[in-house]
This record gives sequence, C-alpha cells and structure tokens, in this order.
Amino acid sequence: MNPLLHSLSDAIWLVPALPLLAVVVTAARVLLGRAVGDAAEPLTAHLASLAAFAGLVLLLAIDGLALAHGAPGHRRLGHWFGSGNWEATFSFLLDPLSLSISTLTALIGWLVIRFSANYLHREAGFHRFFIALSFFLAGIQLVLLAGNGLLAFVGWEMCGVSSFLLIGYAWQRPVATGNALFAFITNRGGDAGFLLALGLAAAWLGGFEWTALSRASQISVVNDRLLVIGFVIAALAKSAQLPFTPWITRALEGPTPSSAIFYGAVMVHAGVYLLLRLEPLLLQVPDVMFGLVLAGALTALYAWLCGLVQSDVKSALVFATVFQVALMFVEIGLGWTTLALVHLCLHAAWRAWHFLLAPSWLVLTRQRPPPPPAWLCRSQLLYTAALQRFWLDKLSEILLVKPTVSFARDVRGLEEHFIDHAIGQPGQGQAVHAERPLVLADGLPGRALAAVSDALQRIENRLLLRGRGGTAEKLLHRLGSYLRTLEGLLEQPRYLMMAVMATFVVIL
Amino acid sequence: MAGDLDDLPIRERLQHWVEHLCHILPAQAPIRDFVHHNTLHGFQHLPFPEALAAARRLSGAQVYWSEANFQAAYAAGRIGPADLQAALDDAGLAGLDTEVIRGLHRRDILAASLLEPLTPPTANREAWAERETGGLPDPIFAISSTLTAGIAQDVPTSWEVAALARWNALCGRVGRDWTLRSLLEYLSGEDVLEKVRSSLQRHLAAHLDLGVAAWRNPAQGQGFFAAWRASAGQDLAWEIDDLHSVREEIVHLPEQAIDVLVDELGRLLPDQQLWPGYLERLALEQPGWAGMFLWRDRHPEGGDGTNVAMLDYLAVRVLLERLLCEDLIRRLTGVAMGFDELRGYFTSELAEFAVRDALRRGELNEELQHRAARLLEPDEHAPVDDAAWAALAASIAASRQATAPAVAARRLAGLLGQLALTPAEAAGLSPDDAVVLLAVADSLDELARGQVWLLAYERHYREQLFAALTANQSRQYSPPIPSAQIIMCMDDREEGTRRHIEEIAPDIATYGAAGFFGVPIYWQGLDDADKTALCPVVVQPTHLVRETAAPGAEAALASHAARREKRLRWRERLYQSTRRSALGGPLLSSLAAVPALAALTATTLAPGWFGEALQRWRRGYEGPVASRLALNAASGEAGTPSAPQAGFSDAEQVDRVAAFLRMIGLRGGFAPLVLLLGHGSGSRNNPHLSAYDCGACSGRHGGPNARVFATMANRPEVRRGLAERGLCIPENTWFVAAEHNTCDDTIAWYDLDGVPEPLQAALDKLLQQLSEACRAHAAERCRRLASAPFKPSPWQARQHVVGRGHDISQARPELGHATNAAAFIGRRQMSRGLFLDRRVFLISYDPTRDDDGGIVENILLAAGPVGAGIALEYYFSTVDNERFGCGSKITHNITGLFGVMEGADSDLRTGLPWQMVEIHEPMRLLVVVEQTPAVLTAILQRQPPLQELIDNAWIVLASKCPFTAGIALYCPRRGWLPWSGSAVLPQVAQSAAWFAGESGPLPPAVILGAHA
Repeated sequence: MNPLLHSLSDAIWLVPALPLLAVVVTAARVLLGRAVGDAAEPLTAHLASLAAFAGLVLLLAIDGLALAHGAPGHRRLGHWFGSGNWEATFSFLLDPLSLSISTLTALIGWLVIRFSANYLHREAGFHRFFIALSFFLAGIQLVLLAGNGLLAFVGWEMCGVSSFLLIGYAWQRPVATGNALFAFITNRGGDAGFLLALGLAAAWLGGFEWTALSRASQISVVNDRLLVIGFVIAALAKSAQLPFTPWITRALEGPTPSSAIFYGAVMVHAGVYLLLRLEPLLLQVPDVMFGLVLAGALTALYAWLCGLVQSDVKSALVFATVFQVALMFVEIGLGWTTLALVHLCLHAAWRAWHFLLAPSWLVLTRQRPPPPPAWLCRSQLLYTAALQRFWLDKLSEILLVKPTVSFARDVRGLEEHFIDHAIGQPGQGQAVHAERPLVLADGLPGRALAAVSDALQRIENRLLLRGRGGTAEKLLHRLGSYLRTLEGLLEQPRYLMMAVMATFVVIL
Repeated sequence: MAGDLDDLPIRERLQHWVEHLCHILPAQAPIRDFVHHNTLHGFQHLPFPEALAAARRLSGAQVYWSEANFQAAYAAGRIGPADLQAALDDAGLAGLDTEVIRGLHRRDILAASLLEPLTPPTANREAWAERETGGLPDPIFAISSTLTAGIAQDVPTSWEVAALARWNALCGRVGRDWTLRSLLEYLSGEDVLEKVRSSLQRHLAAHLDLGVAAWRNPAQGQGFFAAWRASAGQDLAWEIDDLHSVREEIVHLPEQAIDVLVDELGRLLPDQQLWPGYLERLALEQPGWAGMFLWRDRHPEGGDGTNVAMLDYLAVRVLLERLLCEDLIRRLTGVAMGFDELRGYFTSELAEFAVRDALRRGELNEELQHRAARLLEPDEHAPVDDAAWAALAASIAASRQATAPAVAARRLAGLLGQLALTPAEAAGLSPDDAVVLLAVADSLDELARGQVWLLAYERHYREQLFAALTANQSRQYSPPIPSAQIIMCMDDREEGTRRHIEEIAPDIATYGAAGFFGVPIYWQGLDDADKTALCPVVVQPTHLVRETAAPGAEAALASHAARREKRLRWRERLYQSTRRSALGGPLLSSLAAVPALAALTATTLAPGWFGEALQRWRRGYEGPVASRLALNAASGEAGTPSAPQAGFSDAEQVDRVAAFLRMIGLRGGFAPLVLLLGHGSGSRNNPHLSAYDCGACSGRHGGPNARVFATMANRPEVRRGLAERGLCIPENTWFVAAEHNTCDDTIAWYDLDGVPEPLQAALDKLLQQLSEACRAHAAERCRRLASAPFKPSPWQARQHVVGRGHDISQARPELGHATNAAAFIGRRQMSRGLFLDRRVFLISYDPTRDDDGGIVENILLAAGPVGAGIALEYYFSTVDNERFGCGSKITHNITGLFGVMEGADSDLRTGLPWQMVEIHEPMRLLVVVEQTPAVLTAILQRQPPLQELIDNAWIVLASKCPFTAGIALYCPRRGWLPWSGSAVLPQVAQSAAWFAGESGPLPPAVILGAHA
C-alpha cells in the first residue's frame, strides 16, 4: 500500500473524533457559562464547521489516493476489549462503499453546519443545536466508517440520541417533545434487532468485524437468517420503513437544517447503508431479500399515497423521501446493490437541497401539482386513510406507548407497596429496642443494619477482645481463601464476558 | 351585544356572531400578500389602553412589553426618572401630589413601586438565594417583617364553603372566557382537543390548501363540513381512541352545518345567552386556523374557488367539543352527562373538586401533590371512594398557611428600598403606614403599570426627537438650485438613504411620499401571469397598466417569454415531480442531484457571487427585452376595480401628476433630473418575503409606480396640461424612475435610454452619487447585523448586504421596519441634517401653501393608517411574539401556500416572526406634522377615521409650527400641550462618525457636514 495512504487511513478515526471534540469543547463552554451572547456564536459554529471540514478533507485525500492505489480496506487501529477467541476492536473499513457515502455525508454535514450558523443566529438553543449536530456527524461517520458492528452500533445510538435532541429542539412545545419521545421509543425497536444480531454474530461468527461476515457461508442458513433479520429490523426502523414509518412523519419539529440532514439527506439512509454493508450475509437468504422487496414496495405505496394528500411542505417532502428510500430497499432486495448505492448518494444530495429550500416553496411553485388518476381521486375511503396516514401513529401509540405507560404504573405500584416498605424511608424510623431509643430504623436494610451492628458489637465483645488465636482469626483466614477462589473464577473469560455484557445492557 | 339580536331567527343571529368574530380573529391574508395592519384592528374603536385591556381579557396575551424589559431600559438610561414622573401625569392618575405619609407623595410611591417587580420572588426562592449567597441580614427587611406581621389573610371558615364558591366561579367562566374543554382540562389535566387536533388541522389544511396537495378530499366541493363528515364517517381513529359511538353519530348527522351547529350548541349549553361568547372562545382556541378560515370565508376571491364557510368550521368544532367533552365527563364521573349535570355532580362531590382544584393551583407541597396526583389517576378497576377524597381535602385545608405577611414584607422592603428610606426612617413607620403604602402601590394593576411604563418609554424618545427638531430649527437648509430632486417612499428605511445622499451631494433635494406615488394601479409586468394591485390596501385601483415590448422588440419578447416559460416549467417539474411522481421522481432527482450539490456548495461558500451569477445566467438565457408601458388610454371611461380601465387618459395623467407634486410641495424650481425611487426587497428562502416590501404598495415592489409616474410626467401632453394648471415644468427637466432594493441596497433603473442627450452627464453623476449613498447606507445598516464585518468600509458593506440578500441560510436578510418609531409630515428642511437612525417615516408636505389644511388632511388619511398599521403590527408582534407574532422562523413550515406552521403539527402562525421584531422597541407611532394646532384640530374634527386613530391614541400626534420652533403635543384628554425642553444635541461631522462601532439604537444627532 502507498505509505501516505497507509498513514492517512490510520488517521481515519479523526473523522468521527473531531466533531466529538467540537461537542466536548462547546459543551464545556456552555457548562462553564462562557457561551453567552452574540460573541460566543462564531466560535461554536466555526469549531463545528472546522471539525466537519477537516473530516471532509481527510476523506477526500483518502478517496484520491484510493482511486490511484486501491481502497485501504479493513484497518484495525486498536484493541477495545476482548476475551478468549473474540475481541472488540477499534477498526475501520475503508472500501468504496463506505468511502463514497462517508465523503458525501461529510460534505453535506459541513454545508448544513455552515447553513445553520446563519439560520440559528441568536436562537436560545444555538449552542445546543450545534452540539447535537456535531454529535450526529460523529455518530453517522462512525456508522459509515466502522469496521465492526459494535463500533457501528455506538454510532447508531449517537444518531438516535441527537435525532431525539433535535426533534425536541423547541422543548417548550409539548407537541415537539412528545414527538421526540415517540421517535426515540420507536427507534429502540430497531436497536433491539441490532443488539440481537450483534450477539448472534459474536456467537456464530466469532466476532463483530464486518470482514467476518464474509464467513457467512460457513454457518447454517437458519442461523444466517436469524442474524440478518436482526439487522433488517434495525435498518427498517432507522430508515422509517413500514411498520416504523410514523416516527419520521412526526420528526419534523426541529429547525429546517436539522430536518434536512436527518430526515432528508443522511440519517434516513443509514438503514440502506447497513443492508449494503451486509450484502454477503443477505445473499445467503433469498427469503429475507424477498421480505425486503415486500417491505420496500409496501412502504413505497404507503408513502406515495400519503404524500399525495399532504398540504404542508415539510411533510410532503418527508413522504417523498421515504418513498425513494423504500425504492432502495426494493433494489437491495432484488440484489441490485450498486444501483441502490448510486441511488442513495444521488438522492441524499438532491434531498438536502430540496429540504433546505422548503421555505422557498411560495416562490418555487406556481400551480398545484397534477392530481392522481381519477379512480383514486374519487375514493373517499382511501383518501381518509391517506390523510390519517393509515392510522399508523395512533396504532403505535396504542401498541407501544400505552403498554409502556401501564407497565410503568405497575412498576410504580410495586415500588410503593412493597419496595418502599422494604427499603424504608428516611425520617420514618422507629426504635428497634425499647431500651435503646436512639437507634431508629425503617425498612429491611435499616433493620438489617441495626441487626448487623448488634451482631458486630457482640462479636467485638465476645471474640476479638479475647485476644489472638481466637475463633475470629481462624474464620477470617478461611474467608480470605474463599475470596481468592472467587477472584480466580471471575478472571475466567466467560464470567468476564457476562459482566461486560451486563454493563452494556445497563448502559444502553 | 345579545340584547336586540334576541328576537332574530337563529340563522341571522349566527351570521351576526360570525361577523363579530372578524374583530377578534387574526385578519392576516394568505402569506404571499402579507400587508402590515393593526393586529388589534377589531378593537380600534376603543381607546388604546382599554382596547389592550379587552384584548388581554379575551386572549390572555401580553399587551405591554414585559416589565423586565422596561426596567432594563430604565437601568440603561433609556427611561429616566423624569419620564416616569411625566408618564404618571400622562396616564391621568388622580391625586398624585397628595401626601400619603409624612413626606412621601403618592407619585413617589407609585414610581418606586414601578421599579419593583409586581410579584416578588417566592419564599422558597428567597430562601434558596439566601443559602446560596449567604446573604447579609437586611435591616430594612427585618423592619418590614415586623411592620407587616399583623396583616391577616382571609382564611375561609371551612374548605367546603370555599370549594363551593370556587366551583361556582369556575362554572361561571364557561361561555365567557372558558369553553367546557377548558373547564374539564382544569379538572382533569386532560385536553380533549389533543385527541383530534392533528386530524382536524390536517382536514383544515387540506380544505384551505392553495396548491401543495395533489389529491383533495372527494367531497371537498360541498364545503368543509360535508368534506369533514365524509372522511370522519370512515375514520378508524374513533375506534382506536375508544370513542365507539362517535362514528355512528357522525354518520347520522343532519346534512346542513347550521342545523348541526344549533343542535350541538343546545346540547352543550342550554343557556342561549352564552352561545356567542362560547363560539368566540372556541374560535380563539386555534386562532390561526380559525382566522384563516374566516378570511377565506370573507374573501372568496383570495382563494381557489373552494367553498369556505365559517359556519362549517364552527359546526365541526362545536360537534367535536360536545362529543369529546361528553366522553371525558363519562370517564371522570362514570356517567355520561351534560354541563348542567356536571355542575350538580361536583356540587355534591365537593371534596373531589377541592383536591383537583388545589392540585391545579399548584399550591401543594410535594407530599400532598403526590397524594392528589395518585387519586386523580384514572383507574377503572378501583374507583376512588369518597372517604379518600374527603381525607385528602381536609389535610390540604390544614396545610394552608398564611403566606400573606411574608409576601407583604418582601414587597414593603423592596418599596422602602426604592424610596431610599434609611433604616432609621423606616423604623419610624407604623404598621398602618405599611398598609397604606402597600395599598398605594397596589392601586396600579398589571395593565396600568404597563401603560405607565410605555408612556415613559415613548416620552424619552419623544423628548429626544423634539429636542432634535428644535435644535435643527436654526439650521434649516435646502439647496437653492438643486442638481437633482429625488422622491422616495416615506419608508423609515429610506431615511438612511436620503441622509447619505444629502451628505454626499448637498445640492440634491429629497422628498418622501407614500411609495405608490399617487398612482394606484393594477400592474401587469412582462413576466406576470396576472395583474396585481400596487397601492395601499384600502384603495381599489381602477386603472390597469401593462408593460409591453418596445416597438421592434416583439420578437425578442416572444423568445423571452417562451424561454422563461420553459425555464419555469422545468423548475416546477423538478421541484414538484421529485416529491410526488412515482416514476419521474427518482429519475429527476438523480439527474438533479449533482447540480443541486454544486449549487448548495456554491451558495454556501459565496452566496453573493453565486446569486448574481445565477441572475446573469438567467437573464442571458431569457434574453433582454426593451419594454414600454401601455399607459395611455384614449378617453377617460371610468373603470371599476373588477374591470379596470387600461391606462390613464391624458386628463387623468395630468390630475395624478399635479396632485402628487402639489402634495409633496414640489411646485417650482425643478432640477434637471427628478428621480422617483420606488422600493422593494429581494431575499431568498423567506416565506415572509412580502412583509419586507413596500407597505404602501400592498406588500409589493413600488418600482412600477415610480416608472408609471415618470413616464406620465415626461409626456409633452401632460406637461402642457400641467402648465395650464400653473405647474410649469421646464423643458430641460426629465423624470427618471428606479427601484431601490432595501435588502442589498442596489438600484434598478428604468428607461434610461429615453433620457435626453444633454442630461446624460448629469445622469451619470446622479447614478454615481446614488450608488455611493447606497454603499454608505449599507455600512450604516451593517452596524445592527451581528454577522456583518465590524466597522465595514462602504464597499465591504455592499459586499456583505449583497451576499445577505442572496443567502438561502439567512433568516434576517434585512431588518425591515424594525426600527420604526415616528413620522414627520413636513418640509425636509425641518429634519435635513439630523441623524434619525432610520426610525422616522419622512413625508414631504409644504405647509406654507396649504392654509386650510386640505393637503395635509389627505396625507394623514392616506399615510396615517399605513404608518399606524406598520408600527402597531411591530408593536404587538414584539410585546407577545407567541400570541400576536409567529415565533421563530427556523421551525416554520409552509402550509397550503397560505401560511406557516411551527413544525408539521401546530396552529397556523400569524403576525411577524421573532427575527423581524427582535430589535424593535415597541412604542406607538409619533406623528409630527408641520402645521399649526388650529388647522390640525379642525382636520381632526371633520375626519372620523383620524379621530379613531388619534383620539383613541393608537398613534400620537404632535404639531411643529411651520414658522417658529414651537412644538405642541396632542393629548386626547388635555388637548394641545406646548413643549418646552432643552434643545442640546450632540454634533458630529458625518453620520458615519456617529454610528461607527455602535450596534445599539442611537439617539438623534446633528450632522454638521450635511449642509453645503
């Protein structure tokens, strides 16, 4: 490999890291109260823009060299954690697929940041917006460039969080926060699929590296199918395909530039990218590919019908976007992955422009678009269904949000009736022994603590104070040896892995 | 209102009620035709303070700037103690000079109370602040606490009695300032409208849509009610929302909306007296949508032929209100019941009401709040028993503490602090004194306080202006032999342009007039598909002027029109198909992707360059066409607004030109070149585009009017006619027309090829002077724009504003009328040489040739409403941007091509966006007329429209004597008040020296260099 290309591709981690640095610096300025007034705005905007631009330049340099010398491919930059025969690494995959989309994303991201610097001038949430936008750029670049599923998943989650933050940008409006929450919850469905697939990949393919996926032919079709279905669910959710579409139609509450980059240009294509990345796996399971065609076709029909009745510009555009993304799913399902890639790039570029010009609609159009065929025009039922978006968001409210609320209520009931009593509350203590009124306790721990202190006092009195060589010393020695054995066990890979996974589950 | 209407049949009464809604709903036209108007136009028959109070009662909006802003202005010296004292007098408060307690007059106490916040911080906040800052003990506060310790709070005898009174009071609000939905929301915390709001908004937008949706409701032709009913009858959402009987009811509704409306109102509220109020409240729940619906109902010509009837909207709203409230009541009480039964229910379930009420009032501590919230939680399996409600109501009653003394102590301490009493003096007060002091301070309610602050704020600026006019009296200057005369729009933004021209070329005289230059026309330019009215909204033109190809340019026009049509068709295809066409969409968007990305990059990196290049390419592609005006009509057949006459007859042209020149006082001494400069604003990606354009041209560009006027005035026939009327325009005088783009400060000239050869040199010089002035003006504008370079050179400033005008990311392409505050009607001499910070409308008028005031009467009638409309729209959009304005532009989403929503699911937003009013200083327009009080009084007495504006104090009138320095202010209550004040003003060499490096508003100054 060309030495320059070699060193440049070793620096690829900078592409997601620089926006993250901008996030950290801006967030620190906000926390320290430095980001106040007009004077603080340029620094925030320039930092974000510079980080995005540096990423773009680096990617362009790699692109240029890759054209001459071939793509660098899979680069392992460091060890993250691991155990036994698998490990999680900091690895990046620089192939034509990731480089092309990533460069386009960097360009659009940089332009949108420049756009936002003027657009959001003097907004109360100016710095918050740039923090979320840079965080998103870091996340999406991680998704695109990551060499393994675990790293991509981290990016995937960063995109979800920043999307949540920007839909809820106008947090004073209940509609905006409600929709932000709705989008967030719906996307967790996709995350479950992603996590499931990652777990299975670790178990069956022995790692998270995308390169390991080429070994897909070595595992059974049944396993492969299960693995792919997890990823497909994630892709459907992120790209707002049926049945997940409602979240994106409710996500238009943020500022225009964020709508453009998230729901018009970049994030909505993340699911398509994931499937393109998994092409070797997909090819093993034609039935899942058929499912993709079906989901794509249904979504396309749905989005087309709904798009026809929309009377506000941003909703009309988002249905148009979903429609074309659905076509990409169909293309992938049919195995035309190159077409899907080209379509993705061209569509992202056009839609960024289309969304950013949404406020110009009064100037850009002169007349009503031509109506759909007459038979469709006359159907009152279909019209009602399209206007109500086939009731999907009401249904998901019923199927998703209400059960969550009831569950939360049950949990609270449990806590109030049992756990609170068991744990005890401060200030509610009662004397344990009538003769010692100063010792107050409530709930199990309190009583337990009181009992322990009683026992300890007894130990102190009876054993320790009677000198060396007593029962206490022997007991302590034995306890020590037990602990050493436990430590030895815990150092075994399987238990360590369990602990790590538990930590992950807790974090996510 | 109900009184004499009671006998009419219900249909006619309903019509009256709908008519009344016109007064309270926003009257904004579809956003393409944004015209500034008084936001509270429906209250204009009331005096200003009363109208504001009424609007506040009705909508709950803020009607004065927040006290925090006023107090900040006080701290910054923008309101002085003297202003505050004078404002107390102006507000007409009685007994200001009575001594309340030893040495303290009522006015001192009121002034002190204004500087203290009306609601002191809560006890918790104070305690927190004390912990945080470890505050020193305040002796004044300690004294206040002892003084107010005895203040008792009315604690009712039992909570049952209090709760019953409260419940009756709340029920009494239904139909007055509440709907049943509001009452239920108060009781349960659940807003029933939320269930159907999105869907209703979609139906409304679909019905009103002017060109976004491709597919309309099949039943749309039969009106909104029929369309909604056809869809709602098939809607599955009712079942999903557990409203099972609703669909059945909708299907069996009567055919006519009005029958439904009357039926449902009867079921909702048996008391017919309350119906009008109830409909009002209901309409105000979604003021934007209801207002647009009503506008379309009243202006069918402004729509696309769709049948829009306000009764349809009200029928649907009332029906939904009844259905949804019934459902909620059933869930609340377990039984379906009407409003009257609900009233009875809670009268017997007082404990439950008391708990709900206490929770909503937010007066509970955490533990009680928690318990109350638990009880309120709907749980079908275990209904709450009465004992639980009663127990909680009792403990809530027990937990109420007397907070009054503590609050009073904090207020008293603040008051004593403001009065600058020493602890020793304070200690000398008795508890009775404290009560009296607080009572005096309380005598001003929130609205009265706002009024006093506003008066003080206005007075501060007014004093500065009067001082400036007085200071300028001895310096009055006009060029004896002007090299050119420039007539511009009265627009406040043009004050800057005029000042810079006069500084650059002291031998140029400038004039100002309403920007349609006395020629109200329908205009159809070469590229326009239809005619548009270019005149103030209140005028309906009866003449149509077309732009046609110049002789010999017919072929060029044909090719231009064909190419332009082709370009627009492709653009339309590109933007529309890529969103709705199933086959063409993906194909076109793929083709357009690379150019779009390139365009986005270019416009982001160099918006000005790219924008200008694009314009050049466009012009190059379409080809230039020499054009002329189809101006002359054979004879003066009277046209009508619907069938306007094509062109003006010679006699009409002479009339128009003579009347206009007389009006602005240009009767002789014509310069070789007379320039008429219309204006408009060009910006990208801006739904509120027309709000930046010429207000006197109905929110359009005023260039065509200037061009029409100049063409008329240059015709020999017209010149002859003018000479016959004693208005001799020398043969070597030529009228030129141009349009000033107030956004990028460029000028587009018309028909320069017609200028006679001998005047070419003078024309070149004028062109050069005007562009220099525009650059200097751009530099002045940059000082208020945060992203502009600091202290830019004129050329840098020009670069900046050109970029700004073409920048798609710019939410503030320019600042519009944000700085408007006053208007001068008089000769330019009275203000020439003053720096007025682009805050003043300048209208030319020569009082020496108008003894009976006939001319100024017409000026006031035409310019008064335009100026007041602009000033008041800015005022209200500033004081409450959430209610009267449309919030921040950045989440706006164009809906149906008639308005904007926030995001994809909100009320329609009307008024001005926050970005336009952000730096506005909300005050009423001060109109200074150069005419004697006697003449003005006579005019006022014979003109009811002016009485409404001026006697009701929607604008403030002042008279500047044409011959002396005397200034008098008109007060509707006290008549003309002569002004006397000091006339000392800062003096600077040039405008640039005064504003350089400043970014805030600047007081007037004398520009020494402006006089030759």
